[in-house]
Parts: sequence; C-alpha cells; structure tokens
Amino acid sequence: MRLARPRLRMRPRTRDRELRLLTVVALAMGAGWVSLSSTRSGGLSIGDPVPVVCWLLGMLGVHVAFVISGRDLDQVLLPVVGILGGISLLFMERLPQGLVVQRFGDRTLMLGDLQLLWLLLGLGLLGVTAISVRSVRWLREYRYTWAALGIGLLAAVFLLGDEVNGARLSMHIGPFSGQPSELLKVILVVFLAAYLADNRPMLARSSMRLGIIRLPPLAYLLPMLATWGVALALVIIQKDLGAALLLFSVFLALLYIATRRGSYVVVGLVLFFVGAAVLYGVLGHVRARVDIWLDPWADPLGAGYQVIRALYAFGRGGILGTGLGAGLPTVDGVAAIPLIHTDFVFAAVGEELGLLGALAVGTCYLILAERGMRIAARAPDEFQALLAAGLTLVIVLQAALIMAANLRLVPLTGVTLPLISYGGSSILTNALVVGSLLALSDRTAVRGVPAPTVRIARSAVA
Amino acid sequence: MNGAPGIGSGLLRVGLVVCIAYALIFAGAGWLQVVEAGPLSADPRNPLQLVAARAPRGRILDVRGVVVADNARAVDGLRLRRYAHPAMAPITGYVSIIFGTAGLERTYDRQLTGVARLGAGGDLLRKFRSRASDPADLHLSVDVRLQELAARLLGNQRGAVVAIEPSTGRILALVSTPGYDPQQLADPATAAAYLATLGDDSGAPLLDRATQGRYVPGSVFKLVTGAAGLESGAIRSDTTFADQPVESRRGFRLDGFRIQDAPRSVQLDQPLDLSEALEVSSNIWFAHAGLATGAGTLLEVASRFGFGSAIALDLPTASSQLNGGDGPLDGFADRLELANASYGQAEVLTTPLQMALVAAAIANGGVLVRPTLVDQIVSRDGDESRTSPTRIGRVMSATNAATLRDAMVQAVQGRYAADYAGGARVSGVRTAGKSGTAQLAPGQAPHSWFVGFAPADAPRIAVVVIVENAGSGSSRAVPLGGRLMSAWLKRFAPDSAP
Repeated sequence: MRLARPRLRMRPRTRDRELRLLTVVALAMGAGWVSLSSTRSGGLSIGDPVPVVCWLLGMLGVHVAFVISGRDLDQVLLPVVGILGGISLLFMERLPQGLVVQRFGDRTLMLGDLQLLWLLLGLGLLGVTAISVRSVRWLREYRYTWAALGIGLLAAVFLLGDEVNGARLSMHIGPFSGQPSELLKVILVVFLAAYLADNRPMLARSSMRLGIIRLPPLAYLLPMLATWGVALALVIIQKDLGAALLLFSVFLALLYIATRRGSYVVVGLVLFFVGAAVLYGVLGHVRARVDIWLDPWADPLGAGYQVIRALYAFGRGGILGTGLGAGLPTVDGVAAIPLIHTDFVFAAVGEELGLLGALAVGTCYLILAERGMRIAARAPDEFQALLAAGLTLVIVLQAALIMAANLRLVPLTGVTLPLISYGGSSILTNALVVGSLLALSDRTAVRGVPAPTVRIARSAVA
Repeated sequence: MNGAPGIGSGLLRVGLVVCIAYALIFAGAGWLQVVEAGPLSADPRNPLQLVAARAPRGRILDVRGVVVADNARAVDGLRLRRYAHPAMAPITGYVSIIFGTAGLERTYDRQLTGVARLGAGGDLLRKFRSRASDPADLHLSVDVRLQELAARLLGNQRGAVVAIEPSTGRILALVSTPGYDPQQLADPATAAAYLATLGDDSGAPLLDRATQGRYVPGSVFKLVTGAAGLESGAIRSDTTFADQPVESRRGFRLDGFRIQDAPRSVQLDQPLDLSEALEVSSNIWFAHAGLATGAGTLLEVASRFGFGSAIALDLPTASSQLNGGDGPLDGFADRLELANASYGQAEVLTTPLQMALVAAAIANGGVLVRPTLVDQIVSRDGDESRTSPTRIGRVMSATNAATLRDAMVQAVQGRYAADYAGGARVSGVRTAGKSGTAQLAPGQAPHSWFVGFAPADAPRIAVVVIVENAGSGSSRAVPLGGRLMSAWLKRFAPDSAP
C-alpha cells in the first residue's frame, strides 16, 4: 500500500510555449498602451502604465502558479485570455470613464479601474479553477442539483430581478448585483453534458416514429423540450433573447455531438423557428428587435440609432482603424453608441483597430474554439468531452452572436462579448469557463479514473 | 485510448459549423469596413459629419493672404462661415447648414474640416495624432483685387472673366456675373429666402458662367482654326486664298449658301495672309482655312486644347464642343457647317475657361498647363501640400504658337486693329489678342468676346472676357480685357512696375 503518496504532487513543469505566447501578449499590450497614451497626450508617451502592468503581472503570476503546480494544462488558453482581457482593458481605459461609476465607501471607481478589478478577479478564479479542479466527477454526480439550481436562478431573477434596458437580467443581493443568466448558461451546460452522457449508450440507436417523421427517443425529446422551454422562459420572463438563443444552440450542438443524428438537429431547428415565429407574433420586444435589424434606417434617431451608429463606427475604422483613442466614442459628451462598453464593444474595436483588429479578435475566439474542441476530443469519457465542448461553445457562440449583431448580420440579442465587454458577471463566468477547460485539458490528472456509474453517484449522495 | 468513443467526428462537424459562422462574420466585417466604409462615412447623419460641421473650418485666402472665407460666430454649436468678398463666390462657393456645400468649399471639404475620412487603407500617421480634426487653410492663386476689379467692370451685365498665368496654369481671376452673396446662403436665418430670390433671378446667379457657361465663341474661335491649320500644314503664316478678296465683298458661295464677312470688316483688295485675316477678322479666310484643314484635323487639334471633354479643375466644368456630333462629317452636317464652325459660329459652343486655355497655350509656346486655383494647402498641424504646375501636353509646335502669337499682336497693334482688338492694348507692353462678336439668333444682340495675353514675348497673364449680348467685341469685351491686363501688369502682379 502506498498511502503516503502526497495528495498534491508538486513537481514543477516548465511551460515554454505559454511563456513565449505570453511574451507576445505583453509586447502587443505594451504597444497598444503606448499607442493609446500617445494619442491622448499628443506625443510619445506611456501614460500611467499601472493597469496594463497589473494585468501582465497577473498573467505572469498565473503562469508561474501553473508551472509550480506541475499540471499538464493547455498552454494556449492563458495567452488567449491575456490578449482578449488586454484588449478589454485598453478599451475600458479608453472609453468615457463615466459610463460606469461605483462608490466603495469614500473611494470612487470608474469604468477602467472596475474592469481591471474584474479582470484580475477573473484571472484569479481562472487560476484557482485550473489548478485545483482535479476531478469533475462531482459535477456529473450532482447533475439534477445543477438543473434545479438553474431553474431556481431563473425563478429568483423573475421574482427579485430588476429590469434594465428592457431586459430583466440583473439581480441585487445586498450590495452585490449580478446577472445570473451568465452563470445559468454554465450550469445548464454542465447538466446537459451529464444528461446526454448518461443516456447516450442506451439511446443512440433507436428513434421514435410519428408517421413519416422520425423523432428522437423520448429520453432526448424530453430534455430537448425542457431546454426549449427554459429558453422560451428566458425570452418571456427575462426578455433575454441572447441567453435563450445561446443556450438552445449549445444544446443542439451537444445533442449532435452525442448522437451524430442530423435529424435531431432538424427537429431542434423546427422547434426554434416555431418558437421564434410565435414569439415574434406575440412579444413586442422580440418583434422590435427583428424589425430594427431588418431596417434600422426606418427610425434612425430612435430604435435604429444604436445599430446605425455601430455601422458608422465600422465604416470609420476601415482596414487599419483610426488607432486607439482616435475614434469617436463620444459626440457632445454622449456615447456615440449606447452600451458601447458592453453589447457594442466590438464596434469600438472595429473603429479603432480596424478590420484587422476585428479579425484578430475573431481569430482569438477561433483559437479558443480549436483548443476547446481539442480538449473535448482527448477527454477520457463522454461527459468530459461533452462538458469541454459545451463550455467552449458557450464562449465561442456567444462571441459569434454579438459580433454578428454588431455587424448587423443577425438581430441584436444583447449578450456580452466574452472576456472583452465590461461586467463582473460576464468576466467571472467566462474566466470560470476557461479555467474549467484548462482543468479538463490536464490528462495526467484524470487518466485511469473510471467513468462514474450511477451507483457511485448514489453512494456519493447517500 | 485517446478520447471518448464516437465523439470525434461530431466535434469535427460542429467545429466546422463554427468556422463557417466565423467566416461569415469576417466577410461581414470586411464588407462594412472596406466596401461600405466610404458611403457610411459620407452619410450626413454620421457623427463624423456632425463633428466636421462643428469643427473650426480652415480658412480660404487669396494669393496675398487676404482672408476670403473664415469662421464667424457659432449658432447652436454650429459654426457659420464668413465671406468678406462676394466676388469670390464663383470660386469659394459656400457652406450652408441647410443647403450643403459648393465650390472649393465642397471640393476641399475634407481638407478644410480636417476630419479626413479614412480610406479603406486608413491613415497610419493619424494614429499618432491627438486631435480628431486638423483643419487646413487653402491658399489660392487668385488675387482678390483682380477678381473684384473684373466683377466691377462687368457691372450688372451678364458675363464672365477668366485670367490665368500661362506658364503655370495658376488662375488669377475667375469671375461670373451676376454674382451672389455666399454670406446670405451660409446664414441659416437668411438662406431659404435668399435662395428663393436667386432662383427667381433670370440671370441665374448661381451658375458659374466662367466654368459652366457654354457660349457661341464667334471670331475668338479662329485661334483654334488657325492652330489646327498650322499644325496640319494646311495653312502657313503667308497662306492666301485667291478668291477671298472678291468673296469678302460678294460673299463666299458654298453649297448654295453664302458666307459673309461682318459688314464692318475693312475691305482690302489684296488677298489676306493669316495675320491680316486675324487682324480684320475675316470669316471667309478662316472658312477656307477650316475647309482646307478638314473636319478630322480641326477636331483633333481642338481636343488637344480640351474641347470635347470637361476640363479638369477643382470646380465643376462644362465641356466645349465644335458641333452637335450627329452629322456624317466627323459630327459636322456638311462642309457648310464646317466652314461656319471655322470662324466660331454654327454649333460651336465653348466655356470662357476653355478659351482661356487656348490663349494660355498659345502664350506658353504651345504647351498647355493644367489650370489650378489652389497654390498650397497648409494644415494647422503644419502639413503642407503645394501645387506644382502640371503639363497637360504640347498642343502645337513652338513655331506655330509664335506665328499665332505674332498674328494676335498684329490684331491688337496693327494698322486696322482699332476697329477690332486694338482697344485691349496695354500701353508700353506688347499685347496679343483677338476680339469676337458671336452672332446669335436674329434679334438678339451678339456676345462680346475678347481673348488675349501680355506681354506678348513673356506672357504673365492671359485673359478671356465675355459679356453676354453686349454687341461687338471691340465695344465692350476688348477694352475690359485691356484694363484687366493693364491692372495686373502695372498694379497687382507681384513684380508689377507702376
């Protein structure tokens, strides 16, 4: 018996690739900071480099922690977070600071400082998650608890939430406020991954026939309908189109990955379009969103204002952009695009960093997608594979949704641009997601662990 | 065992869908930021335009630094333009919050506001600039004094004056009457009512006659026919037409019609050569010359001067023509039309600016230089861009140009010149010129034309004057042109010797 084996095996493992990539990140952020400060001061300047130095030191700290922990974590994800978070920091420092003001006692923090705080907290959360989570069995075991928690969150928002910008998204508990739908997405992905993994072996073959239509077996149909119901509830109760769309599309993708049945996706899409058509007919705010998308010029100073202003911003940017700090974020002291620090931050990137900057940001999410999918493909069991894929898609599809909406390719649904938009809930949730992906990427930690059985789960509950 | 069984292919396909979605997003961004970038930035509702409207605009100054347009008070955050010299309106145009921009204010809007629309390629240097706008001043080649003198001499008659420095193409004056007051268009309080008044005015004050008025040129067009004849070899300086003296008295019969010299022509009994024909403005001599040259050559040489297409200038220009273009003979209906066109009648229509280029090219030894209005553009941040003379090309040989120049000198200083272009003579300076009396429809008084330059041997100014329906050239346009050349050479020019 080798009981004396230490629980945490601290054998440092160098991470050269991560360090090289982080060097690139540091150079890029440094250049961005100098560009922004120089534009502001009118001459070559590094301004007050504390925020960007904090962010880079944070990155370095997490890197060192990873090295010391000795875990074999993915080496690309942290630099990707570094660059996205760095862009976030540059833009939040650059945008009008008065967009967000919070008082803590006699200290007043504004947009840039707050975002730096959230980013550093997120980075900490990411590091702790990546290093400490060595097994995700417990996630699978408590799957119905997650489902219940998710629905509970939904109910809590319905009962206690505040309506902001026409959507009931945020909730105040004591001095804290947050957007539970951010966390809800992650919780539901965990549940879906567990549920699909559980039922996959039994039901991958059979299907129900209803006349000429091949329906998924009930075990798939039920959660599909349930997810659809949750999505509808999100739209109706919270008026949160983005979260609903995201949740449903992640679910369909996971369902397809689990079963490889195109017909289920077709059924899902039919459900989606039926739901969308009904909601368009019934709910004013859904109809308004679609109508604005189809013709923002119908009411250029009212409903279409935000979308049109975003188009102008992209147009001003051209290929190379105006340069950091040289765009037109404010006209007469008012933000040129409402919600430029959250929903429309991609338009700000497009204006000041140009098409190249916009493509670079998009490419970062694609790299994240590639790493996530690779982690999923190498996962030791179905649950971890589906979990990794689901978590990846939560970020990647959400980014696609809001970037496309900024470019007026799809209607605006009001989600954040992951890791770039301002906001604590969004930053922390996405940091948690990337941290989890990192944890899942360590094959040394989970190798040899048998897939949990229902019996184990019961014993754990008992 | 690597990976969960049967998961890989599903992951791959979902990954593929993600890639396609991102490719579409990238394409959308490319479309907006490259193809649509221009139209979006030019949209008047773009806050970029709003900022431009509020930004202090660059000034427009004349050749000596006299401020022609600058910023006056601001109304509701919008700056109003101030125009101290209404005679400059055909050049400066106006900025109106209500009606938009015109003239150089429009052409150089980007430089004047300094809020440059980033091209699809962006502006790398601008990234290191602090201010959103960098307005630039326009320094014109025009002299306000010459401009105002010309406007005053035209008075309340309809007409136009173009003065140009032949060797550089720098425009010294560009006048159109009746004029308008850009100040009243710029001020939103008066703009609408004033524009209505201008619209009701039968004189069309908003039309820039100098660049866009198309006139029958009459005898001043003989310079073009002469150039074409000399270039083609069809005529020489000593060419005579044997029948011309008789025809001058009885008329030149061509295809059943009779071409006549103007009744005032001095009747000479010997056949005229080029100089004499130009001096007494013989229609019949130039009709013969045009017929001898041929339609194709006449058109080709005229096109070297710029006929047939709009002249490139910082202002909108109309194109000049030799014929309506629908006849079988290179656009001429027949030889009769060609003969009539050869002395500037028939369907020949020309802008004053076009005739100024003809004069400038002859004055400049046969080389045509692109006309310009702006000498340099100087931005607040110190960026300078200076206009350098652009040679359009050689219109005719130096020898032929000298032949025409000498003929034009004789037209002003010759024995019989007094009835024609003689009134343009600048005392003490060898002066070259040609008068014109453009016959219009019966009952309408002819247009009075003058085209000339001085000093003939080293020309520093070429001038075109047209006064609508003012009678013969010698009565109105010729002395006016003379006074302008004299004023320039003796008072206004930088090295003038009073």
